[in-house]
Amino acid sequence: MKRRKFLILGSVLGLSSSLMGKNNSIVFSKSLKSAEKTIQSVQQHLFPEGSQIPSARSMNVTQFLLETITHASYDKDIRVFVIEGAEELESREEGKFTSLSNEEKERALRAYEETHYGSNWLSRIMTLTMEGMFSDPIYGSNVKEAGWKALHAYGGVPRPTTRYIKL
Amino acid sequence: MKYDVVIVGSGASGGAVAYTLCKAGYKVAVLEKGRLIKRDEFSKDELAYARRDIVTPNLFEEYHTIEEKIEGKWVATPTHESGWSFWNGNIVGGSSNLMSGMLHRMHPDDFRLKSKYGEIKGANIVDWPISYEELEPYYALAEELVGITGKYEKHLYEPPRSTADFPQPPTKENAVVKLIDKSCKALDIVPLVTPRAVLSRDKGHRNACYYSNFCGSYGCSSGAKGSSRESMIKPALATGNLTLMSNTCVKTLHVGKKDEVEYAVVVDTVTGKEKKISAKLFVVAAQAHESARLLLNSANRYHPHGLANSSGELGKNLIFSAGGSGQGELHKESLKHIKFEDLMTTGLFVNRSILDWYFIDHWWDGKFKGGSVEFMFEHQNIISRANKNNEEDGKLVWGKALGERLTKRFTESKSIRFEIFNDWLPNDDCFVALDETHKDKYGMPVGKLRLEAHPQDVKVGKYIAQKCERVLEEMGAKNIYSSISSAPPQNLVAGGCRFGDDPKTSVLNKYCQAHDVPNLFVADASFMPTGGSVPYTWTIYANALRVAEHIVQKLQKKPLS
Repeated sequence: MKRRKFLILGSVLGLSSSLMGKNNSIVFSKSLKSAEKTIQSVQQHLFPEGSQIPSARSMNVTQFLLETITHASYDKDIRVFVIEGAEELESREEGKFTSLSNEEKERALRAYEETHYGSNWLSRIMTLTMEGMFSDPIYGSNVKEAGWKALHAYGGVPRPTTRYIKL
Repeated sequence: MKYDVVIVGSGASGGAVAYTLCKAGYKVAVLEKGRLIKRDEFSKDELAYARRDIVTPNLFEEYHTIEEKIEGKWVATPTHESGWSFWNGNIVGGSSNLMSGMLHRMHPDDFRLKSKYGEIKGANIVDWPISYEELEPYYALAEELVGITGKYEKHLYEPPRSTADFPQPPTKENAVVKLIDKSCKALDIVPLVTPRAVLSRDKGHRNACYYSNFCGSYGCSSGAKGSSRESMIKPALATGNLTLMSNTCVKTLHVGKKDEVEYAVVVDTVTGKEKKISAKLFVVAAQAHESARLLLNSANRYHPHGLANSSGELGKNLIFSAGGSGQGELHKESLKHIKFEDLMTTGLFVNRSILDWYFIDHWWDGKFKGGSVEFMFEHQNIISRANKNNEEDGKLVWGKALGERLTKRFTESKSIRFEIFNDWLPNDDCFVALDETHKDKYGMPVGKLRLEAHPQDVKVGKYIAQKCERVLEEMGAKNIYSSISSAPPQNLVAGGCRFGDDPKTSVLNKYCQAHDVPNLFVADASFMPTGGSVPYTWTIYANALRVAEHIVQKLQKKPLS
């Protein structure tokens, strides 16, 4: 499976041509800024308040996601895909996704999930959010180990003292 | 400075050779591409170790290409496109740092598979040039040095041993072993205690296991795991004879005269500076597919098709471990024979294996080579377990339903797993060559892997999986499934530099010395013409100790056989 093709398959905007360009840092940080609100809103919908696991709002998951995808260890193609998937969602919802009601967001995301591309993107956002919630708190999410406490599952010792094994 | 011996790679085999030579008083340099992570620097950071390429190269900088047959043509895809990495632990001590340490010796009949079981159409099976009896003393030595713990039980397919029992008793076990033992016995299956490269008691500078619950995929913080770094490199360094050069990637081996390697051309992975490192003798131990690649990349006018490749066999007959895995869930409400809180106790091992199907000779099923089985809990990584449980009927589960689903899954059940290891039959469409166009960041052609499996491999795997699923059923597990495929596990790789007596059909002689270049040895799993039906690590350690002893004799100028 070719990852690039897999990622861009089914994008309504036909974003494939801009894929490489997005790795240009100025273009990239601009797109990142504009996608941030959408991503945050999606994360809050997937991980709401009042669940048996902590909410997106309480766990700094958006900050975690942005720091994670811009870190050197993160796959640069997927980094671009995360941003473009948010742009695609906004374009489907005429730029209003973040201001939709809960019911409308549910409809919009389930409809997005019907597309191969949207399903991949949602799955990626969920993975990135869980990575924050259930990784060591040193990465800035999983605040006070609330993610671990909810699952009665704790990271092993020794715990990391730096991010990404910077010794 | 000219070293007595330069070793390329610091994993199980490179470490074992360094250990033996340094103890014998020789000046050795070990060249390791990765960095050094010390015992007290290892952590259980799931994000770093298990989800990002932190201890392996970034795939956009260093990668392989994988050939697949598409519409009758072989098409190569770089691994940074597929995300399918073929790197395994590029740090001092190699992937032995990250193993789970479930080890077995190969069976005596694995050394004579062709004589015993005959040819299989489409498979390049040959007998080994050595017997189990020749390797046994080194299995015993590896057991002692690495610190393999266990409990010997007589079994039809358990290889004979020269010592009565393991040097240390098994590590502590989760109560689930009672359930496994009971279920196996009900099915007339003999469960055996798995030998494990993890200390149950202190040993020299290494401390006993502290049952961290995160063993495989992680470095060990007590020194209990028998990594090359703890069991071989550290004592070798203590002799004062070892120069350990981390962040040092070998690009080529230089042969000035027809039959002698003179120096290694290396690049400092941090500064990018190149230099030459000279020695009397060179040992390649870079893990099978990379060892063959280094020799292919070292081609010159004397060796136009790659170093030590007059046979044309270099890179050919790459093998993996065939088989697959399966899993089932033990639920709180339906658990039999053991207490749920005992099942949920973390950190303790599931030291159980089955060798009953190592060879099959059945009135209906026929006579063929089978494989071994290991039991374990599902890996305890939290992110990956959570992330695996977020789908239902092909749709993502989110919102409050996700919270309910995850907490139930984590607090009211635990998954038990089996892994099957059976022979990956060597064949013409499983090999490593050099890619004609792709180069890594050092400018060297990358390895191109063709990875076709023989149909027999999957047949055998499925045969055993069916029997394992029966064990899980008997245990009362729910949602049982197994997955047997012909996709190779990239961390269980061997072959590519077959050893044999005939220089026309093999790359190495029985001492793993290159037929064409007498001061060149390949010590890792590359030598294996067939792989047996167990993980390779114990055999790699044992064979490297055997090869090293031969090198010592050679350096002492004793007559060589």
